[in-house]
Formats: sequence, C-alpha cells, structure tokens
Amino acid sequence: MFDGLLLLGQGIGHFLTLTSLFNVAWATLLGLVVGILPGLTATMGVALLVTLTYKMPADQAILTLMCVYLGAIYGGSRTAILLNIPGTPANAAATLDGHPLAQQGRAGLAMGLATTSSTLGTIVGIFFLAIIAPLLAEFALEFGSYEFFWLALFGVVISGQMAGSDTPLKGYIAGILGLLVAMVGMEMLHAYQRFTFGIPALGGGVDLIPAMVGAFGFAEILSSMKHRVVARVASVNDRVVPSFREIFQYWRTIIRSGVIGTFVGIIPGVGEDVGSWSSYALAKRFSKKPEEFGKGSQEGLIAAETGDNAVVSAAMIPTLTLALPGSAAAAVLIAAMLIHGIRPGPMLMTENPVFLYQVVAMLLLATLANLVFGLSLTKLLIKVLAVPRERLMAVVYVLCVVGSFAITQRMFDVYVMIVFGVVGFVLREMRYPMAPLVLGIVLGDLLDVNLRRGLMLSDGDVSPFFTRPISAILFAVVLLTILMSMPMVSRRVTGLFRRLAPQGRTS
Amino acid sequence: MDFEEPGERAARARADLLTAIVLVALGLVIFYLSWSMPRLEPRRIHPATIPGLVPMILGLTLAFCGALLGWRAGSIEAKGGWQALGRVLVSRPAVRILALLALALFYTLVLVGWLPFWAASMLFIFTFILLFELSMTDQPADPLRSGIWALAIAVTAGWGIFFVFERIFLVRLP
Repeated sequence: MFDGLLLLGQGIGHFLTLTSLFNVAWATLLGLVVGILPGLTATMGVALLVTLTYKMPADQAILTLMCVYLGAIYGGSRTAILLNIPGTPANAAATLDGHPLAQQGRAGLAMGLATTSSTLGTIVGIFFLAIIAPLLAEFALEFGSYEFFWLALFGVVISGQMAGSDTPLKGYIAGILGLLVAMVGMEMLHAYQRFTFGIPALGGGVDLIPAMVGAFGFAEILSSMKHRVVARVASVNDRVVPSFREIFQYWRTIIRSGVIGTFVGIIPGVGEDVGSWSSYALAKRFSKKPEEFGKGSQEGLIAAETGDNAVVSAAMIPTLTLALPGSAAAAVLIAAMLIHGIRPGPMLMTENPVFLYQVVAMLLLATLANLVFGLSLTKLLIKVLAVPRERLMAVVYVLCVVGSFAITQRMFDVYVMIVFGVVGFVLREMRYPMAPLVLGIVLGDLLDVNLRRGLMLSDGDVSPFFTRPISAILFAVVLLTILMSMPMVSRRVTGLFRRLAPQGRTS
Repeated sequence: MDFEEPGERAARARADLLTAIVLVALGLVIFYLSWSMPRLEPRRIHPATIPGLVPMILGLTLAFCGALLGWRAGSIEAKGGWQALGRVLVSRPAVRILALLALALFYTLVLVGWLPFWAASMLFIFTFILLFELSMTDQPADPLRSGIWALAIAVTAGWGIFFVFERIFLVRLP
C-alpha cells in the first residue's frame, strides 16, 4: 500500500520538470484541437503522433501520446456542445444535452460542466487504475498459454459484440479480418512465413501503426469529405467556470458514471463511446428528472463526459497488465510502448514497476492541463471549429503519409496505410466497427501462439483449455458473450429476467 | 437509435448480401491456402502446432459468419435495394470520394519520390483545396479568395511539416 503511494509520488515527481511540463502543454493543446475538429479522432491523433515522438525518450514519448489521447477525448465535447456534431465518437452522447444547453444560451455553462466532469471522470478512472492494475498484474502472473488464448479470444469477441453496429455479426467479422491480418508474415512458433506471396516486405507482417493510420486516418478523411459540411457554431455569452454546487449536486451521477466508465475501460477493445452511452443511459434511469434528458439536462451532459473520460484511464488497466488494449487508441499506445522498449503485460510490474505509476502521473497531468486549457482558452478553441474541412483534410492526409512512412522508412508501409484506409472506409460505410479489427491485429499473435503452444504442452489434448479453473471461466464468458449476441437467445434471457423481476421494475 | 432512411437500409441489405458472398469466398480461399500450407514434417514439429492451424480455423469461421450475414441480409425486406445501391455508387458523395482517392494516389505514388517531399505536399494541398472548394461543390467559393487561402496553407503546411518533422523531431520523410 505504502510502496504504491511512494511509487506514485515518484511517478508524479518524475514529470515535474520543465521539459515534461512543456510536452504536457503542447501535446494537450494539440489533443484538444484534434478532438475539437470533427473528422479527427483521438485514435488518429495518437497514431499520427507516434511518428513525431519516436526519437524522444520513452517516458516523454508516452507522456505526449497520453496527453493527446486525453485531450482529444475531452476536446470533442466542445464540438458536441457548440456544433451538435461529436468531435470524436466518444462525445456522441454529449450532443444530446450539450447542444440544447448551448441553444438555450448556456453554452459557457455546458462547456464548463463538460470540462469539470471530464476531469472528475479521469480522476475516478485513475483511482481504479492505481488500485486494480497492480492486483491484476499479480493475478495475471498465474496465466499460462491456455488462459492467454481465451483472453485474446475474449478481447476480440467482446469488442465485436459491443463496438456498436446493426448486428454483432459485423463486429465478429471485423475481428476475424483483424486476426487474419495478424496471420500475415513470420509466425512465432516455427518461424514459418505465412501468406507473404513472395513479397519480402510482408515477411515481418503488417505493422500496426500504418494499419491504424489508414483505418483511422485516411478512412476518416474519406468519410468526412463525402459531404460538404458548413459549420454553424453556437455563440458563447455566459460564464464558463461552473459553481461548486452546479457540479457537485450530481455527485452520485459523477461517481456512478466514473465507475461505469472504468468497467467499460477494463473490457478490452470497448472504447469511450460505449462508456459515454452507458453512463448516459444509467444516469437517465436513476435521475429524478429523466424528462429533462435530451432537452439540455446538466446531469445528462455530466454523465456522458464523466463516462468517456473514465474509460481512457481505465483502458490502461488491461493495456498495461495484460497487453490487451482497452480501446483502439490504447492499441496504438501498446505499439508505441513496444517501439520504445516498454513491454506491457503481466511482467511489467516485475520488470518496470515505476512505469505504471508514471502512467498514472501522466493521466493526472494531462487532465489538469485539460482543465486549465478548457476553462481558460474558450475563445481561441472556438476558432478551431470554424476551420473548413476542405482546408484541413489535405494537410491531415500528408500527415498520414508521414506517419506511416517514418517509423520503418519504407514506402511499403504507406501503401499499407492506403489499403487499410480504403478497406476501412468501405467497411465503415457498411457499418463494420473498426475497434474489433484493430484488436484482431493486436491480439492475433497472442491467440495464435498461445493456442498452439498450449496444444504442444498438452501433447495435442484440448481439455486443459476447458478444465483449468481460470480457462474454464474465460471459456464460459466467451461462450456466453457469443450466445447473448444471438437475437433468439438474448430475447429469451431478457424475457426470463423480466418475469423474475418484481412488478413495475421492468423498464 | 437509427435515423437512416428506408432506401438506405435496403441498399445496405443488398450491400451486405454482396459482402457476404465475398466473405464466404475469402474464408474458403484462406482455408484452402492454410490447408495446403507446409506442415513442416521434416522438422518433426507436433502436428497440432502446424502454422496453418489458426488461419484454417479463422478461414472457416469467416466463411460461416459470411454465410450467416448473407442469410440475415437475404431475410431483410429490401424492395428496390439494388437500385438504391446503384444510386449510392453513382451519387455525388461517391464522385467526391473517387476524386479524393485519385488525387491521394497520384500524390503518393507519383509525386512523392519524383519531387522533394515538401514540394509534392505543397502541390497536393493546393490542388486538394481548390478542387473541393471550387469544383466538387454546389456552392463554389470565390476563386481568388480560395486560391490565396490554398496557396497560403500549402506553403505553410508543406514547409511546416518538413521543418517540424525533419529538423525539430529528426524524423526522416519520404
């Protein structure tokens, strides 16, 4: 306990230098701008920034990326409030009450509430990160190949089901496609090159960064340039800094949304948007004034913005302890950590225990920077909203080319980016979620190697995958997740719960 | 929450049907390629650890999910779905996308490598802005104003990216 506090103190102290604070300032501002600009998402921002930071020392590079990530998730709320367009997918729920508040002439209050609740959401997430991550890492040391196989499969399956589409089937298909992409190149068990078709550049497999820059950068450019959009920004005439009472009268909502966001963040590959929507739905259900939701409810806005920011911190729990990305942006962070020689996973707490607390410190600094910039630079940040997409997206595409080229310095990676961009765009248009695809690419090796290694250890016997206690639980969870995504099963289970529930509590 | 129009839903159902066929075919091809992948017998590896094992399972699962998707898409009532899908493919947004794609490919495959990166980027940004502000829109901007903006952004961004990446952060550019 005291060791943890000491390490946390060291983590914070480590970043109280001029260089670190300078990096926090510019990266958070950049993140805010990325989040504010519709069409630029947090994942895209982090993926593009990996290039810029890869010559930095590891701690500074991850600090910078974390600030961009958190800044973007928060920044998107501003667009949601003033433009009625979510700046990033995470802020979709914030439009429901944020924009009506702006239309009522209370845009300043809405921005203030969003800023403060974002900070509080992050702090709730940080609290759980500091507590849960060390315990989970210790527990995960007992995991063997069998457990890691199920964990990898669970990540892809749960992300496929919850990533949001017209059918979970599309999520699963996206996940399988991601896993198949990971099968390209040299496999780890026998060093055999699969699906390379004689192309030497494919020998090392498809790198995550160019794939992510394509799927989240180029595909996003294509999506946002499909139509011409003219921004109509709501005016801000009232005060931005909220009063203590305006925020803390909803303390129950804040804590509940923070906990929901944390829970969603821990689930692999389920991102900020799910955290935000779940918090919003539950806040409405437990609210004393549910009729105000969607018409400018302050409670609704607070729930949405607390929920999504808590996800960011909590997503670091599986990311750091199991190397299972808690969100799409966290997948990029894993790639960035590996580039900088940091190996996330159960061994992290043994090999580099300080790093976990450094991440806590990074999140703390980033959220404080968000709070300061969010409450002070209102006018300047609104100007960003007026930038037309026609003028912005050309520059973003150039950055996509740079971002995919610079790490390995191969034009091949730029072509990978283009292919993933086009395929990603087509899949998105047909409502295939991108998060399971990314998770598939990240977890493909883990799944493949652990399945075959497990079979090798048991001499081809599959029973340990189902009989070892943790494996059995994970298998049951995976099976249940798949079964629940079948409409006929989920209808029956819901019907059963309704019958069992007391009268009047069926909504 | 679904705000989409019935025509769009019908078009998507038909697009799903087409995708399903592609996915089933892709899944089966992957299964075949994995099945025929060397099993490394001379190296005496355990037969349960052959390199093709996981891709084989994934190929089959993809084909199965594709078939389910096709069955689902086929059971959705999508009157006029093929026509709606056809209209989507020749709509104005589709033309904008194709123009962007052509420009991006020309920049990446031809200009980068032929011109210095900063020059290629300036040219790309300038053309991109003019194309979408003057031509690919139903409300064209004032050409002079648009041209000045395009030039200013192209020069600033082209030089800025070169300076920030190559000089400050020491990152090599294409």
